[in-house]
Amino acid sequence: MNFESFETRVLPTKNKLFRFAFRLLGSQEEARDVVQEVMIKVWNGREQWATIENMEAWCMRITKNLSLDRLRSKQRKITDPIEDGFEIRQEGLTPQERTELDESMVQINELMTALPDKQRQVMHLRDIEGYSYNEICEILELDMSQVKVNLFRARNAVREKLVKLNAYGLS
Amino acid sequence: MDSLELNNLLEKYWNCDTSLEEEQKLKEYFRGEVPESMKETAQLFRYFEEQQKLSVGQSNFEAEVKKKIVAHRPKGKSVALYFNIARIAAGVLVVVAAGYFVRQEVRKAYPVEQEDTFSDPKLALEETKKALMMISNSFNKAHKEAGKINLFNEAEEKIQGKRADEKKVNI
Repeated sequence: MNFESFETRVLPTKNKLFRFAFRLLGSQEEARDVVQEVMIKVWNGREQWATIENMEAWCMRITKNLSLDRLRSKQRKITDPIEDGFEIRQEGLTPQERTELDESMVQINELMTALPDKQRQVMHLRDIEGYSYNEICEILELDMSQVKVNLFRARNAVREKLVKLNAYGLS
Repeated sequence: MDSLELNNLLEKYWNCDTSLEEEQKLKEYFRGEVPESMKETAQLFRYFEEQQKLSVGQSNFEAEVKKKIVAHRPKGKSVALYFNIARIAAGVLVVVAAGYFVRQEVRKAYPVEQEDTFSDPKLALEETKKALMMISNSFNKAHKEAGKINLFNEAEEKIQGKRADEKKVNI
């Protein structure tokens, strides 16, 4: 339980923690603050490290809790979910194609933001971060059936809306 | 991946029956050129991949966290230690000061009785005798002097006696 294992096991999770916090809070600035808070908290609780099986899932769980605390304490809504998180650098695309791609990314992001909290969280952890169902259960403190139901609803809601959006050209 | 395999895989995906490997396969497939009918699905999978590239976006983030946790630990401990010591010291100081003032008040209220000035009883007896002798000498001296006052008394008596005789003669 020392500084080296903190460097090898905790610090490298920073981007995953950041993306998850950003998904929940909708602000990069606040997400960064939360990640820093999480790391300090994990470091201060280093006596418990021996009992933690999956350090990354543990960090993600703390990130979720601290982010939700923040949301609750401020009673705030995600006001600007798209911010500047879409640094899409696709080589070999014309400006026209790139703009289209950017637009579709913004659209999908809005669809995801519009999902209920649990669905959004599960979808983020599975489809973006690629966590196993067991890990998602651990992070979100949910049981397997809840995770699966939420993921099913999230995927199908996004799919339906996406098809509609493109079919009617509402973009 | 042929279209039949793709459709099967997608069907599994929407039903949340795909493994992480299969989902990875889908992501890889949708990176390339896809038929027009698959456009929306491709956008969704590209979105997932793009989102995973998002990073904390602050080059000195790790250094900052390290600085915080290193600064956090020893300082916190020693400050707490000093604080505790200061608390105990303050308590002791209050008790000592209070004791001192109470003692002074008590002394004022009950003046100290004469203390023994001699440790050797023989010496003390000698000193006492000496003191008593001095008092006795002084008394004797004073007595002698006071004897002179008797002269007046005697003289007064004699005068009164004579007068009484004269009165008797006159009667």
